[in-house]
Amino acid sequence: MSERTNGEAMIVAEDVEKWFAGFQALRGVSTTVRRGEVVVIVGPSGSGKSTFIRTINRLERHDKGRIVVDGIELTDDIRNIERIRSEIGIVFQSFNLFPHLRVVENLTLAPRNVRRWPRAKAEEKARQLLERVGIPEQARKYPSQLSGGQQQRVAIARALVMEPKIMLFDEPTSALDPEMIKEVLDVMKELATSGITMVVITHEIGFAKEVADRVLFFEEGRVVEEGPPGEFFSNPREERTKQFLSQILV
Amino acid sequence: MSRPPAVPRDLERAPMVGADERVVEVAPVAAPATTREWLRQNLFSSWPNGLLTIVTSAILLYLAFRLLRFVFVSADWSVLKANLRVYMTGRFPVEELWRVWAAVYLVTALAGISRGMLLRTRWTTTRVLSVAVPVVLLIGALLYLVDSARVWLLLGVAVAVLLVGTVVGRRLGPTRRAPLLVAWVLAFPAVILTLRAFGGVKPELWGGFLLNVIVATVAIFASFPLGLILALGRRSRLPAVSAFSVGVIEVVRGVPLVAWLFFGQFVLPLLLPAGLAVPNIVRAMIMFTIFSAAYVAEIVRGGLQGVPEGQYEAARALGLRPARMMALVILPQALRSTIPAMISHFISLFKDTSLLAALGLFSELLRTARRASASIEFIGLQAEALLPAALIFWVVAFSMSRWSQRVEVRVGVGER
Amino acid sequence: MATAAHTRPPFWRDVRVLRVAGQAVFVILVVVVAREMFLNLEFGVRRQGIDLSFDFLQQRAGFEIKEGIDYSPNQSFLRAFRVGVVNTIAVASVGIVLATVLGLVIGVARLSPNWLLRRMAQAFVELIRNVPVLVQIIFWYVAVVLALPVIGGGLSVWGVAYLSNRGAAIPWVRAEPGAGAFGLVVLVGLAAAAAAWRWRLRVHERTGAPPRRFPVAAAVFGAIAVAGYAATGGPLSIEVPQVDRFGYEGGFQASPEYTALLLGLVIYTAAFIAEIIRGSIQAVPKGQREAAEALGLTPGQQLRLVVLPQALRIAIPPLNSQYLNLTKNSSLGVAIGFPEIISVSGTIINQAGRATQMLLLVMATYLTLSLLISAAMNGLNRLVASRGALR
Repeated sequence: MSERTNGEAMIVAEDVEKWFAGFQALRGVSTTVRRGEVVVIVGPSGSGKSTFIRTINRLERHDKGRIVVDGIELTDDIRNIERIRSEIGIVFQSFNLFPHLRVVENLTLAPRNVRRWPRAKAEEKARQLLERVGIPEQARKYPSQLSGGQQQRVAIARALVMEPKIMLFDEPTSALDPEMIKEVLDVMKELATSGITMVVITHEIGFAKEVADRVLFFEEGRVVEEGPPGEFFSNPREERTKQFLSQILV
Repeated sequence: MSRPPAVPRDLERAPMVGADERVVEVAPVAAPATTREWLRQNLFSSWPNGLLTIVTSAILLYLAFRLLRFVFVSADWSVLKANLRVYMTGRFPVEELWRVWAAVYLVTALAGISRGMLLRTRWTTTRVLSVAVPVVLLIGALLYLVDSARVWLLLGVAVAVLLVGTVVGRRLGPTRRAPLLVAWVLAFPAVILTLRAFGGVKPELWGGFLLNVIVATVAIFASFPLGLILALGRRSRLPAVSAFSVGVIEVVRGVPLVAWLFFGQFVLPLLLPAGLAVPNIVRAMIMFTIFSAAYVAEIVRGGLQGVPEGQYEAARALGLRPARMMALVILPQALRSTIPAMISHFISLFKDTSLLAALGLFSELLRTARRASASIEFIGLQAEALLPAALIFWVVAFSMSRWSQRVEVRVGVGER
Repeated sequence: MATAAHTRPPFWRDVRVLRVAGQAVFVILVVVVAREMFLNLEFGVRRQGIDLSFDFLQQRAGFEIKEGIDYSPNQSFLRAFRVGVVNTIAVASVGIVLATVLGLVIGVARLSPNWLLRRMAQAFVELIRNVPVLVQIIFWYVAVVLALPVIGGGLSVWGVAYLSNRGAAIPWVRAEPGAGAFGLVVLVGLAAAAAAWRWRLRVHERTGAPPRRFPVAAAVFGAIAVAGYAATGGPLSIEVPQVDRFGYEGGFQASPEYTALLLGLVIYTAAFIAEIIRGSIQAVPKGQREAAEALGLTPGQQLRLVVLPQALRIAIPPLNSQYLNLTKNSSLGVAIGFPEIISVSGTIINQAGRATQMLLLVMATYLTLSLLISAAMNGLNRLVASRGALR
């Protein structure tokens, strides 16, 4: 799987720290994600995984340390922030689709208003992506009329329509009923093989074993251990990793 | 097992529950099959209950008797009959009344079309009765009050316009809601133009019920953008902006409207540049607008709070700038959920226009009614003069609140 | 707290700088507009021949006020204003209490098993809510109170209270010398009762003995009150009003204006309070009533001991806004000549012309009243919330 990457660093995080009021959520996270790599992050709730990937596209502001995305440093400079955001797509646990717009309008909103694409071009791209995620017939429906799995696939398509170089996934299947998890994971697997850089927070170990290049274990705001999935799951080095894995692996 | 009804955010305006409302009883009771059983269960289930029913019925019958005797026998309605036009339009010049009729037809046509497009009436017996009885009473009252055949003709045309509008609306179907909204927004300046344009009637001469409606409508239209700005300001992350907005909202809401109207008459002209002469009624409209804006701001704020944080995040992550995000994603959701509260606020605002009577400067409906019984020929007829005004206010407020409940269901507030 | 310092963005793109700059621009805008308006104000005021100071409040008022605390036209404008404030408080405080009681009754009636009672309560609420409060107040004034029989030929309630077109008179307590001291004794008694309450609670928690808080506290208060009353020479007496052709004598006299304003405010606000009570009772989970019934409580007990306490907790915030509304609506007394704040201020403006200052004073007064009421309700809210949260 690591043939996908050409070694170029897409995301560089150095000693990233973040506080929420008195509580330190990130205690010096450092890692590098290379182009085409698929990185899976696991860890107990409250360990800072979600906070970390949200600092990458400035949904949270990091207090210390350095974050560089595709050569652009993430600072308080609006221009940098906007350039970085245009290269990153994010998929949320709760989908966050716009309920008052149809599916196709959800997809075309950003390209038409941020990139100023003409309507026809945006709709064509939307149609292609809906096919790619497997639900082209749902284009004119409203999100509330779709199942959870379909909604999340629309969310993935919406993120993809801006042609990002990096896709972030914040527990994309945690809010889904079990029978719908597979359809979303299938789409994500297809994305992984297509060469896009992905950072995925998930509890789906099967997915990690199949497509991840690297697995990171977060606990208490730090990366406790990382490694290729083969080693990580069968032979973890750290004691805490072993404890965590024993709790989630059946 | 259904959930208990959540406490509506606006408890004073909670919709009245009708015949199917749940009652404080615990064990499910078998539904009454015959009238006798129904009487037994609902009115005479126990002897204290039965006693209560008897006493309440006695009081009710007594009150009804007194009321009916007053209305039909002892009251002298001549004060109303002589002043009907003044009640409705104040000192509006008689020769220009065609303007008022034109405005009425415009609004009625629009109302008819909206009704046809949006409401699908199921004609149950109760529904038919609840429309037929008031209509019959109204016609009866008008037969006594209105002598001129011309007025009857004009009223008939209004009814016809309403019905035709409804048919047209049905034909158009519910798909064109946006143009309908635009039409309503444009209707308002159109009405003003009708009254004012081409050597029309100055606002100082507008009076009666017409004035109440116009002031209320001006205030609601103008206060909406202002209230929106205040609400956004209050939620701003810039402390100076947010503190200023909170300050304005709380001060405006904490002071009685009458005080604000006095402010508008005495202090506002001093704050504006010296050369600018603002007519009294416009000063009042400005104060109504500011007052309404503070309440609209709170309503919008409630709506904005109801939009999940994830919507903001998704929009920002997609690269939408704040203005676009607000306009395309947040506000459409926020505003839709505020429709019931907005209508309720409009009803309150309409009732509040009666406060113009406290200033003694404007002859709107309440003041007109009060003065009607002051003239020599009608002295002592205070109740007869006031009750029709009260009734007019009541009919408008009540029907708007009933209508708003039906619109709420139809527009599907809270569904998406 | 800065990110690594080697790439500080240019200030015109720095998010934090923009934030500060945005606020600065806003503040400057507000200040400029405010200054402009203030200059206009000064100019306009000077043209009227007056100034913007509050000194005029010490001048002689020169006008009568129909009712209220001790006042004569020789006293200052400020004193006159105070009369207005006291009148407002007089009608608002009584109004809040009566409206709550009436609203409670009607709200519960709205949920009665008796169909007729339910419908009547519903009709009352729908009728009252949709007519403007000023219309109701004026109606009560001109069509009812002023239409009552003339004094002396009027109605009397059980021979101790009277109604006429000059207002109402009801029996009231009269305070003689020593009443102040007795008042202090009452306060001391209340404090002692509160202490006894807490003491019995601690005893109960420590030893498990039945707390009997209420009887003990009541006994303590009663003992102190009775002793104090005897010691101060029995300074309170009930005064029954007397009536003759010329007026009322003694008792508590309510002018027709006060009566009409009170009636209008109480009935109007009670309709809204009834809906709040109904809504909050219905918001109490159904399981609570079912559990209470399963425990064997009668419907009356269920309501009183289980449902109402929880419902009242929910009701406090909307009740607060109704009380504020009632207080603000008392300003409508100006339309019927009741000398409350607005009415008195209007007269002062007629006499002295300083509308700006007077309106500032009026606004400050109402804001203070609102703050006091809200603070009290917030305190109440915290008190009931701390006794066990609902969810």
